[in-house]
Amino acid sequence: MRRLGQSGKNTAENITGYILIFPWLFGFLLLYLVPMVSSVYFSFTNYNLLNEPKFIGLENYRRMLFNDQTFWKSLGVTFYYVFALVPLRLIFALFIAMLLNTKMKFLGVYRTLYYIPSIVGGSVAVSIVWRQMFGNNGVLMSLLKLIGINQEVSFIGNPATAIWTIILLGVWQFGSSMLIFLAALKQIPQSLYESAMIDGANSWQKFIRITLPMLTPIIFFNLVLQTINGFRAFTESFIVTQGGPLDSTLLYVLYLYRRAFTYFDMGYSCALAWVLVGIIALLTLLIFKSQTAWVYYESKE
Amino acid sequence: MKKGTVFILSVMLVFSLILAGCSQNGNVKAEPTQAASVNEQKESESSVKPVTLSITWWGSQTRHDYTAKLLEMYSEKYPHITFDATPSGWDGYFEKLAAQAAGNIMPDIVQMDNLYIATYTKNNSISDLYPFVSDKILDLSDVPESIVKTGEIDGKLTGAVLSVTALTVPYNPDVFAEAGVPEPTSDWTWEDFEEAMITIKEKTGKYGYASDVWTDTNLLTYWIRQHGASLYSADGTKLGYEDDQIFVDFLNMIYRLTKAGAMPTNDEWLQIATTGKEARPVVTGDGGAMFEWANFGVIVEAVNPNIKLAVPPYADNGTKALWIKPGMFFSIAESSSNKEEAARFINWFINDIDANKVINAERGIPVANKVKEALKPQLTKQQQAMFDYLDLVANEHAGPVSPPEPPGTAEVTKAMADQINLVLYDKKTPEQAAVDFRKAANEILARNAQN
Repeated sequence: MRRLGQSGKNTAENITGYILIFPWLFGFLLLYLVPMVSSVYFSFTNYNLLNEPKFIGLENYRRMLFNDQTFWKSLGVTFYYVFALVPLRLIFALFIAMLLNTKMKFLGVYRTLYYIPSIVGGSVAVSIVWRQMFGNNGVLMSLLKLIGINQEVSFIGNPATAIWTIILLGVWQFGSSMLIFLAALKQIPQSLYESAMIDGANSWQKFIRITLPMLTPIIFFNLVLQTINGFRAFTESFIVTQGGPLDSTLLYVLYLYRRAFTYFDMGYSCALAWVLVGIIALLTLLIFKSQTAWVYYESKE
Repeated sequence: MKKGTVFILSVMLVFSLILAGCSQNGNVKAEPTQAASVNEQKESESSVKPVTLSITWWGSQTRHDYTAKLLEMYSEKYPHITFDATPSGWDGYFEKLAAQAAGNIMPDIVQMDNLYIATYTKNNSISDLYPFVSDKILDLSDVPESIVKTGEIDGKLTGAVLSVTALTVPYNPDVFAEAGVPEPTSDWTWEDFEEAMITIKEKTGKYGYASDVWTDTNLLTYWIRQHGASLYSADGTKLGYEDDQIFVDFLNMIYRLTKAGAMPTNDEWLQIATTGKEARPVVTGDGGAMFEWANFGVIVEAVNPNIKLAVPPYADNGTKALWIKPGMFFSIAESSSNKEEAARFINWFINDIDANKVINAERGIPVANKVKEALKPQLTKQQQAMFDYLDLVANEHAGPVSPPEPPGTAEVTKAMADQINLVLYDKKTPEQAAVDFRKAANEILARNAQN
């Protein structure tokens, strides 16, 4: 005989669950899912925010791939940015995390200080400061003059170096990765290090043979997260260089924004957005597939 | 019963969260005005239905402050009107407006610019004001007809022009004197200009031409008009000049000035551009001249009252290429439910003498003749100079009126900026840049014309 009480209890629990998440669900549907689906539709239309969207099929995508130099330029700049930023950021994060993984005085203070850039770094205010610092009349130029290097063009004004000021701003915000590494470092069993010491391993060998392999799940996690975030970078480029000079810092999302809100080319920007989703998804998939080659999960043993 | 209690508590929690979110809608947006709802008490006195007009404009802090005063003045005069003002700077103003237009939540009264009025009209975002003109609610009889018509697109008057202005070369006479360069005359040529700019740099180390040429297409438009053509074709679907050499000559001059250090590079301009108009090199004495609109002297008067306005240089063929540009319009949103009240306000703004005494020509030369006369006694030195300059231009230097910019002008501006900068960074020859600009601009204009 079916236990009616049991199924009743499940339904009641389900309903409670849905009610509890209803505020989030409502927001998700209204502000996330519905706009997402409509933007797929808009990507096949000609829409300038003021008129009715006109269906034009694949024309936006065709124009993007074959007729738009700036699209390829911004894609190149963004890939360059991500492939420079993510390794640098992870390396710094790991380095600082290892330094902080000791018992020292004021450890909490250092941890907080290194984390602060992560919180404020993505803001407009910091970007403005960054622009001043690296700009023509900025701190960096003055310091260089002091030691005798007379630059004609500031780092921001030079098409070759401008992207590195943006990358530097990104690397400076390594705090969140650092905290995660720190937590992971503390998880590595001391017994491994002790047995290594008995076997006569030096610090470098300990790092390569124990720390790194044990950290690979976390490195993997950070890698995926930072790559996805790297492709979405916007504020730095928008404020510090506005995509210049000569589009050398034109990050993809900035180009998307410009297409949408300066040129009112809405349908096209939606197409751009979905291409970005596709690219990020592809890269993430590749990183996931590569897991088996280099990530060591203790639980799998 | 524990299950029931959990259920009830969870429902209460959810609804309290929803209510907390909803109640934030009542917050008034942070505004630099005091005009928001000063007159609540007065509403009970009059029996007219209270109306809140939402209004937005761009400008500097000075403009925000006096416009707030104006809104208060109007609310005192007509107690049933209150205002919800959301001004901003020029940067981002039209992005925000476009987003609001898409959501049909544009403010009732919007300040509109020549660059965008065609697009907004074509898409029915702003309404036709002619019905209000014929009903005498919006009285434009005191405004010269050619000036009124600058707001007419496709037979509809979608912008009530508030002011007129013209391109000018504001210069700092002290810097000119320091370099020993004679001040510009009314008929100076581009050769005189170039020589002056480079001499200023050589003698004083300061910028001769302390501005950029790629933020907008105004200078290029002026240059092209001097050759009897226009930047855009009449129907706005392609460029309006045939000879690429015109653009090449322009690029060559810019290149010479930049290489001589008489003009800021892209890099240096990036720094200068972050400062407000009051801190530009010409104003602070670090630059000789620039290109700007005629109300520049008035805008920076508080900081430097000695800026003089010169007529922009002539080309060798002596063609009169200046034009009287509508400074800005007030438009009424098509989605507005208070169009008549909005039209009344615009009428007051344009024609009322007390109002214009407060405005004090900050938005440009007022368009109503009575207002111009009434303002004369209270004009400062710079304002008088601006009024005189406009009269000079209208009488002696102006060519035909320029049509409103076609859709796609923002993209064309970027294409022009790209080509100019490629030449300045030595990545392209001017000849190649001219050809590439034509190709890019035609593609952009054709694509936007289809919308």
